[in-house]
This record gives sequence, structure tokens and C-alpha cells, in this order.
Amino acid sequence: MNPIEEGSAIERCKNGDREAFGLIVQKYMKPAYYVALGYVGRPDDALDISQDAFINAFRHIKRFDSSKSFFPWFYSILKNLCLNHLSRSRRRKEDSIDQMVEEEGQSRIPVETVNPEQGAVQRDIEVRIGKALQRLRPKEREIIILQHFQDYSYQEIADLLGIPIGTVMSRLYSARRELRRELERMGVRY
Amino acid sequence: MSCDTFKPLLMGYLDEELTALEAVRVEQHLEECHDCTAELDDFRKLKEVTRNMRVVMPDDKYWDEYWSNIYNRLERKAGWILLSLGSIILSAYGLYWVIAEVFLDKNVHPVIRIGVLTLIVGFCTLLVSVLRERFFLSKSDKYERIKR
Repeated sequence: MNPIEEGSAIERCKNGDREAFGLIVQKYMKPAYYVALGYVGRPDDALDISQDAFINAFRHIKRFDSSKSFFPWFYSILKNLCLNHLSRSRRRKEDSIDQMVEEEGQSRIPVETVNPEQGAVQRDIEVRIGKALQRLRPKEREIIILQHFQDYSYQEIADLLGIPIGTVMSRLYSARRELRRELERMGVRY
Repeated sequence: MSCDTFKPLLMGYLDEELTALEAVRVEQHLEECHDCTAELDDFRKLKEVTRNMRVVMPDDKYWDEYWSNIYNRLERKAGWILLSLGSIILSAYGLYWVIAEVFLDKNVHPVIRIGVLTLIVGFCTLLVSVLRERFFLSKSDKYERIKR
């Protein structure tokens, strides 16, 4: 869907056309999932929250300025939902220290090598990288997932997040530096 | 220019996202700066080890159902709003009817009147209490200043 078709679909959404909104969802559901995963770290939660964000977006679509790109506007809704979710999770964890310790030891972003014939060493690295990713700040995770693991170009990331390319580079620099430090702390050699 | 200026550009250089002119500037800096060269090598190794890695995607069935889930929830939401509205209207009318019957009818025993009045006051107190709690909780998280 090109920007003109997207603009037309948005206008139809503003008139309550749910099918038109389906086109927007199909276009952005995967980037929305990656962004949510960057924030909340759990695939199931990322799926749920990204869907909630689309529902909120449709409800408030009349507030959206059609002359601008959809995703940066949608991104602000998604980000707020992710932060609310993290805030609620923190409150829940305070209720159970055991659960917090358990989750910090086990949780990881699920990453895998495309090559199916991988060895045990490679699988171990995947697990450790997933854990290291989980320890990054949400904004660092987000940009690492988009660029490092999903091969989005800088321009695509800039368009998605509504930030300049210079910011993409500086955010990516600090994110990769932190990832490297985390891997060093975990004793990963590569 | 200092190394700090070049550090973000190292990312663009590594990912081949710079213009030719920017790439030449970075290369000139790298010739003079061992620290940045070493850091670039580290980043290159990190990129190499994760070159073929991808975030595990949910199964296709989740993506197939993704839009239908949203569509159904949008549809249901409208249903819930109508259902709630109807319930509120009927409840309000029922309450009005009960009050009128119980308090205006002189044949109703005073104990029943007191019982109904107590029920109404109790319900209203609970409602106000819950609404007030929800309102204040949504405005502030008393733990938000605690660093974790």
C-alpha cells in the first residue's frame, strides 16, 4: 500500500469503514509487534498490546491528521499502552518477590538463527543474546530488534518511529554498546 | 571533530547506510583514531554473530487471526456500549419505581422502608468509594519514584 492508498484508507476509516482499517492493520501489524516486543519483552503480551493499540487507534482515528504518516501517530498510542503495561507488571511483581526473581532469571526475547542446522553452541548464544536483550532499556531493545534482527533500513526506522536518521544512528550506537556490555557480563565470547 | 561526533556515524558506516561523503569522513577519522577502529571491530563482530538471527515470530495462525480479533473486538465493543446503556436506563427506571412504590405507598411497613433505604445508601457508598479509588489510582502511582 503506497502513501496515497494509505491516505485514502485512513479517510474511509474516519467514516467508520472497518474494512479499510483492516488494510492499515495488515500493513503495520508486524512493525507494531516488534515495537511492543521491544517494550514488554514477551511475545504474547506484545501481540495483545499491539492489537489493543490498533483498537484505540480506530476509536480515535478522527483526531489523526491525514496529511501525516500513520505509524508515528499510532506509535505514540502503542508506546503508552506498553508503558502502562510495564507499570502494572511492576506493581504486580512487587506483590511477589519470588516471581520477580524467577522471571528475571528466565525471561528472554526469543531469537533464533535462520539456519536450521545449528549446533548446541549456537543455540546457547541465541539464549544468551535473548537474555541480554531483555536487560536493555525498552528503547534500546526496540531499535536493536528493528535494525539488528529484522533488517529494517535506517530510513524505514526513522519513518516508523518518527525520528531523524541521526537519532536512529545515535540510539543504535548506545543500544549496541549496551548489548555488547551485557554479553560481556554474561561471559559470551564471539 | 571529536570521537563523540563520529560514534553514531560508525553505525551508519557498519550498516552501509552513509552517503559516500560521510563514509570518506569516517574512514579518514578511523585512520587517525585507534579507539574508534577498535570499537568498530567490536561492533562488526557483534553484527557477525547475530547476522542470521531473527526474532522468533508468532505462528502464521496468529497473524491470520490478528485482524479478525481486532474486528471482533471493535464490533463487540459497540455491543457492550449499547448493552450497558440499556442496563443503566432500565436500572435507573427500576430504582425510581422501587423508591416510588416503597416510599410513597403508606401501606408499606416501615421496616421494609428502612431496609430498602439502607440498601440504597450502602450501594451508593460502595459505588462512590470504588470510583474515588479508581480515580486517584489512575492519577498517581505511589511507587513511581522508586528506582528499580
